[in-house]
Amino acid sequence: MDDMVSTAGLNQWIRAFAELVAENKDSLTDLDAAIGDGDHGANMHRGLQAAVAALDDTKPATASTLLNKVGMTVVSTVGGASGPLFGTMFLRMGAALGDTAEVSLTQLATALRAGLGGVVARGKAEPGDKTMYDALAPAVDALESAASTGVDKADALKLALAAAENGRDATTPMLARKGRASYLGERSVGHQDPGATTVALLMAAAIRAPL
Amino acid sequence: MSAGPGALVGLVIVSHSRALARAAVALASEMLHDRPVRIAIAAGLDEVTLGTDAVRIKEAIEEVDGPEGVVVLMDLGSAVLSAELALDLLEDPEVRDRVILSAAPLVEGLVVAAVAAVGGAGRKEVAAEAHSALMGKAAHLNAPEVMSPPPRHADEQADVVAVFTVANRHGLHARPAARLVSEMRGLDAQVRLRNMTTGAGPVPAGSLSRVATLGALHGHQVQILASGRQAPEAVDHLLALAGRHFDEPREDAATPALLRQAGPLPASPGIGIGPVRMLTVAPPPAHLVAPESPAAEWRRVVEAIAEVRREIERLRAVAREVGPQEARIFDAHLMLLGDEEVLADVKARLNSGAGAVTAWMGALGVVEKQWSELPDPYLRARAEDVRAVGAQMVTALTGAAALTLTGPGILVAKELTPGQAAELDRDAVQGIVLAYGSPSSHAAILARSRGIPAVVAAGTGVLGFAEGTIIVIDGATGELVIDPPAATLTLFRERATQLAAQETRHRAAACEPACTADGTHVEVAANLGSPADARAAAANGADSAGLVRTEFLFLNRDQGPDPKEQVAEYLAIAEAMPGRRITLRTLDVGGDKPLPYLPMPVEVNPFLGHRGIRLSLERRDLLREQLAAICDVARQVPISVMFPMVSTVAEVRAARAVLEEAAGPAGLPDGLRVGMMVEVPAAALKIETFLPYLDFISIGTNDLTQYTLAAERGNAAVAALSDPLDPGVLSLIRHVCRAAAGRVPVAVCGEAAADEAAIPVLLGLGVRELSVSPHYVPSVKAWVRDLDVDRCATLAEVALGLDDAAAVRRLVASTLTGDDELSRHLGSAATA
Repeated sequence: MDDMVSTAGLNQWIRAFAELVAENKDSLTDLDAAIGDGDHGANMHRGLQAAVAALDDTKPATASTLLNKVGMTVVSTVGGASGPLFGTMFLRMGAALGDTAEVSLTQLATALRAGLGGVVARGKAEPGDKTMYDALAPAVDALESAASTGVDKADALKLALAAAENGRDATTPMLARKGRASYLGERSVGHQDPGATTVALLMAAAIRAPL
Repeated sequence: MSAGPGALVGLVIVSHSRALARAAVALASEMLHDRPVRIAIAAGLDEVTLGTDAVRIKEAIEEVDGPEGVVVLMDLGSAVLSAELALDLLEDPEVRDRVILSAAPLVEGLVVAAVAAVGGAGRKEVAAEAHSALMGKAAHLNAPEVMSPPPRHADEQADVVAVFTVANRHGLHARPAARLVSEMRGLDAQVRLRNMTTGAGPVPAGSLSRVATLGALHGHQVQILASGRQAPEAVDHLLALAGRHFDEPREDAATPALLRQAGPLPASPGIGIGPVRMLTVAPPPAHLVAPESPAAEWRRVVEAIAEVRREIERLRAVAREVGPQEARIFDAHLMLLGDEEVLADVKARLNSGAGAVTAWMGALGVVEKQWSELPDPYLRARAEDVRAVGAQMVTALTGAAALTLTGPGILVAKELTPGQAAELDRDAVQGIVLAYGSPSSHAAILARSRGIPAVVAAGTGVLGFAEGTIIVIDGATGELVIDPPAATLTLFRERATQLAAQETRHRAAACEPACTADGTHVEVAANLGSPADARAAAANGADSAGLVRTEFLFLNRDQGPDPKEQVAEYLAIAEAMPGRRITLRTLDVGGDKPLPYLPMPVEVNPFLGHRGIRLSLERRDLLREQLAAICDVARQVPISVMFPMVSTVAEVRAARAVLEEAAGPAGLPDGLRVGMMVEVPAAALKIETFLPYLDFISIGTNDLTQYTLAAERGNAAVAALSDPLDPGVLSLIRHVCRAAAGRVPVAVCGEAAADEAAIPVLLGLGVRELSVSPHYVPSVKAWVRDLDVDRCATLAEVALGLDDAAAVRRLVASTLTGDDELSRHLGSAATA
């Protein structure tokens, strides 16, 4: 069925994510330089290149082994706070999906919900803290509601991307309350959050892959 | 009795930098004198790359783990997150249970922990020692705040003291106070303020709610008490800011209007006499009283704050286009949402068992009370800001309209959302005065449809009226008098009596057909949003239902209505108006009113987005289901169906195809008429191409006007532009009527159809059906009976050549009152 996502599709998703991060590495770093330590782009790029290399080596056959591999690699190679945060997200997604070669849109939404839960547990972010949560949460909401109303896969992913992008844009006026950006206080206002930006790239990658 | 190293606590050093970790271990080793301690390093991604690695941390823990367990010391940021993740990655729960993550500073903590560990201390003791590692350094440097925060209100501990005089004409009210508080954010200093003139305070300068309670008026002296590392900077910033009048403009800083006002403007005719009533936050409904855990309730509060913050930021962006001063009021609102004192109070209330709504209202109630007791009337009026934020929060928390009136009278408010306007109790609200708003806003439309007199765009001055003072308004002229003298009161009472007598006359003839003086029949229909409206329409003598907004069946629920429910509701409407034709409009929603079961992307401009027929054609399942229900009903009673927001013929053809499918093998029901709404200017201009597919046309003048004039109807700044009597809109209506003449009838179902000034022009252009709120049917029929179609046609011709809507209104007014401007226009046209 068209609305199923194969392990090969997930593999393509991670690769497309790595490509998009590579293409946007410098702008991510610029965003982070404005309010953080300026390493987000380089860190994510390093971690995702390592993840792609790990996929080349091991060729995982199920959704859970693939996402676990990506999660563990990201955890080990990103270095900054994005490592444990994105890593936890992928690990929880993998755990939620189990040993299956194909997943439905609904299962994918459930897995992303679990991933979001991991991000919250790990980073203790709350809505409006100007973090990746502010893009990921609306994207998960959008994907879930699309999956539950039977919207087809391509449209559902577009809705998720639009929600992530809106969430990303909404971080600009926010006051950072987590991570190094929070040290800047009011001066963090007016800058887009790099983590939320990367989440939007993750959703864009799902369309580019295509899943 | 020397224990082997395996019996000692193991230590793990987590750092971004491998070099730093090694150096820290070297430093600690000096204290150990070669006694064995197991220390593992998990630092950096390699020799030179900064970063932390959760997998490596997990391995390091396993390397040094033993029966006494492990204490992990970390530097900052990702080190903490990666260490927490490492615990999750440990497969053996017993190992996990004997790991302690220490919040100690890395270098000092390691040295102390290593000494404690080598001495045979257990892991809890080692962790506790590490945690107090800063004690010695802090004592040496005499910085007690590192160990415990200083008492907040002890003013004897200030490092820097300074005084400024408040130069703002209206003192340190919410907006300059918000500016002050924002200046203090991010500075490492504890700053308190005291009003030396009144003795109020000291209060923390980081809390907007507290700063406002200083009651610092023009000329008052305020003392700054600052301590902490950046105390000098904090004082410098504050003094500079005070010198700049807290960035308020000096001229008339008192009354910054939110938007340029053209008012007061008449918004809904009728006389209102009664005491001033403000909106207050309603107590939470009983069913919300059972709170969850404090943590869950806190999460609700946080989510609601985020939602309200987004809404305020949206409004602020709109206001900023008018000017930065107008946006500043929203800064004050945002500041209240993040006010540490308020949030601490909310948290305390949650911890003592209150629910989110109760805790929020209680905390804000304290602030509102403090402000409303301030001596200065202008500052006192700022309690309105607190009420506004409180109401928004309660709405976000409960999803319900949160405002109620304190008693019967004239409602005075800043603005009303459509939801609030819809929920007002007609018996309690004898009139409405809004500081902002426009006559074409949804709130004004709802007021008219419910027959509540209203005056809008009256300016922020009205918000300072004292609750309970008598106020009189005339919603037909926009007049408004607070605390009127006896003569004025008598005058308004007489007007009210005359209006009541006129209404009685109109109602007496309401069930008769409406024919103009020269005998042309005009159908006066009703716009409906529920079966209750249908009963009102029948009672008011409506000839038919010209527009049934079927959204009422679809909004505010988790799943759409099934076909059976739709059939039942449509039949209920038809049965309330027996024998009369019912025109059902298919579902008309868009990004501005999304349905939970019909996901739509958030649009920057939903009124120009995916809405009406555009959305329905994408969700054909829903459309087909609705059309099937309509066909079912049409086999029993006279029914028309029309499609909203049509732009192209292809849309009508596609919708008709869905209708054919929905009708099934029996074919379209006899007597079912199919029409479209004309709201898009392009559709009006191309109307000839649509005619082969239509049995009738209904012009939605509200949207047609806003699209033609590019003026949003709810926006007070462009209220005067958004008038259906603009000759541009009239020209589109004429085009539609001329093309349709002799082929299909043309109705108008917008607000213009119930506008006494617009009706002669519409009849003159060729419109023969007016569909209005049930309440207006008797008056519209009465007005129609006084008109002469030929004369209306002449009037319309002249109107089309005028400059703008205001000129058309003047022309109509003079014609209706007998001052014959029309003849003069015709005269000048004849001589030209």
